[in-house]
Amino acid sequence: MNLKMETSVTDGVTVVACQGRILFGEEATALREQIKSLLKSTRQIVLNLAGVSYIDSGGLGTLVGAYSSARSAGADIKLTGLGQRLRDVLQVTKLVTVFEVYDSEQQAVAAFRRKDA
Amino acid sequence: MAFSTITGPAPEAESGVFPTLVLVRDNEERKIHLNHTPFAVGRKVDKDLAIPDPRVSRDHALIVSENGEFYVVDQGSKHGTFVNGERVERKALQRNDRLEFGVRDTIYVVFNPLHQNSNTAREFLSQISGIHISAATTDLEKLTLFLDAARRLNTSGVLDEILVTLLEATLKLTGGERAYLFLKSEDGTLRLAAGRNSKGDPLLDDKTISHSILDEALKSNSEFLITDTSQSLDLAARHSIVAFDLRTVICVPLRKPLVQAVREKSVPAALGEVMGALYVDSRFASRDISRVSGDILRAIATEAASLIENARLVQAEEAARRYQQELSIAARIQQRLMAVTIPEVPFARFDGRNVACKEIGGDFCDAVITKDGLAVVLADVSGKGVSAALLASTLQGMIYSQLTAGMGLTEIVAAVNAYFTHKEIGEKYATLVIARLRHDGELEYVNCGHVQPLLVCNHEVIRPAHGNVPVGLIPGAVYESDRCHLHPGDRLILVTDGVTEAENANGDFFDNERLEAVASRSAGLDEIFSAVADFCAGAPLNDDCTVVDLLYTG
Repeated sequence: MNLKMETSVTDGVTVVACQGRILFGEEATALREQIKSLLKSTRQIVLNLAGVSYIDSGGLGTLVGAYSSARSAGADIKLTGLGQRLRDVLQVTKLVTVFEVYDSEQQAVAAFRRKDA
Repeated sequence: MAFSTITGPAPEAESGVFPTLVLVRDNEERKIHLNHTPFAVGRKVDKDLAIPDPRVSRDHALIVSENGEFYVVDQGSKHGTFVNGERVERKALQRNDRLEFGVRDTIYVVFNPLHQNSNTAREFLSQISGIHISAATTDLEKLTLFLDAARRLNTSGVLDEILVTLLEATLKLTGGERAYLFLKSEDGTLRLAAGRNSKGDPLLDDKTISHSILDEALKSNSEFLITDTSQSLDLAARHSIVAFDLRTVICVPLRKPLVQAVREKSVPAALGEVMGALYVDSRFASRDISRVSGDILRAIATEAASLIENARLVQAEEAARRYQQELSIAARIQQRLMAVTIPEVPFARFDGRNVACKEIGGDFCDAVITKDGLAVVLADVSGKGVSAALLASTLQGMIYSQLTAGMGLTEIVAAVNAYFTHKEIGEKYATLVIARLRHDGELEYVNCGHVQPLLVCNHEVIRPAHGNVPVGLIPGAVYESDRCHLHPGDRLILVTDGVTEAENANGDFFDNERLEAVASRSAGLDEIFSAVADFCAGAPLNDDCTVVDLLYTG
């Protein structure tokens, strides 16, 4: 199992920093479970993928799935820390239109505050 | 046990009404029906059961029937008649009683055994292991031999027989009245796997045993627990004690055999995980089993655990083999579904090929003649293996049928998206390209999150950027198509990301530049696949590769 997730809270926003790979199977399941349990207590999640070296098609599916679950629970997930490869994948799959992507964790967190304001 | 007086014609085999006698001699068994009484046993040839051994008296014994019970009556024989090892003059017979006439051990008769199978199994076991069980063998050695032979019986489905043989051997060696075997099931609870009493009857429930003693034995780290039910403080168990009177209980936890390189007696072995327990009891009134040898109990515990573990491993292997077979069948079916029949149209030439990295995969391509042209599909389902293949087959079927029904391309992908998001298969999705080429060269296509198509016109490679999100991910997504015009000699090439992400030993990807370079040389499928293979130079494929090549001839 090649994925580590560290959760912290900044300004009322839950930040999940991921380290490793997100692959179809154990890692994707772990991510899914983590988001699911966080959604029970928060509506604002930032996923920091700066430490993620590789996401396969299964991992991508989980990412989108997590996003859809969040939306239907009235919550929102913003992404940050995307490497070039992941940006390319989101470009080809046109999923870049679906996600909100920020250049840094602070900007992603700030974006939540701007909404509340 | 009541039998009506037996007279009349010879009984049918295994009718169940007449008791059978099983004569065991060396390793041979012979069934004899007790179809009349008195039934005479002796050395004389005219006896109902003639045993030609000098130690058997000429008129040795009779088996008679009285008030529905059967009795063996010694006729003043020289060397005596024995029932279950005890010399008798006249004794009532119970199921599974062992009768000996003058000769001990090598020749005996079993009265009305309940399960022919268990006796046969025991004899069969000793046969196949080629052991001769002589009178000189001690009980403990006999047990070891039985169980060793059982272990060599490497067929599945025999686990139940092995369990029964084990319980019978345990009863014989401990002199207990009832024996139960519990096995731990997957949820951690103990489940009754088999039960036998000393008469050979199966015991089907564990309501009258002391579960508190069972639990105590399992929790302790000792090899076995010998106690009596008077010490049990559990209130619920007290009810059973009172109802079924006091018993001596031996409880032997069975632990998973550990693989040890060196077995040293001085070093205490690490305790394996508990996998079950053997519970033997006997009423105080009948026999005191508390003085059963610890060696025997230890031997039973060790051998039983190995036996059961082995049988389970064999069963698991069988299951895995069956699963592998099913997978091969599924792979063959999928291959047939994936086999694209190359359609003949006057204005175009189609070619498609799939190279899977496993037996069964999530890529497919297809070509369908529609009323206004030729439609081609290339799809890549997320993930790998069986789950991807399942979706791929469904997707292929849906698209094929909608194309032949003449539906529009954007309608088709919207319908597929609706179906898969509605079904909530859980993050399974597909990227795909559907394109329709008309005889006049007009090409309409819908790209759903897939690797951009290559349009090769006069050695120039164009990558149309128009696209949509994949299907199966976002409910209600809106899909749009794009159009362009092909001239004779132009090609449309579609690939899955297994091609662009093919890796060589250095970790470099084949990528778009190399792909475009090959395509611009007006290469067909063969050249593209060779280019990938050359690039990878022996490094294995980590994803399915599919390529479609559509040439517009006009």
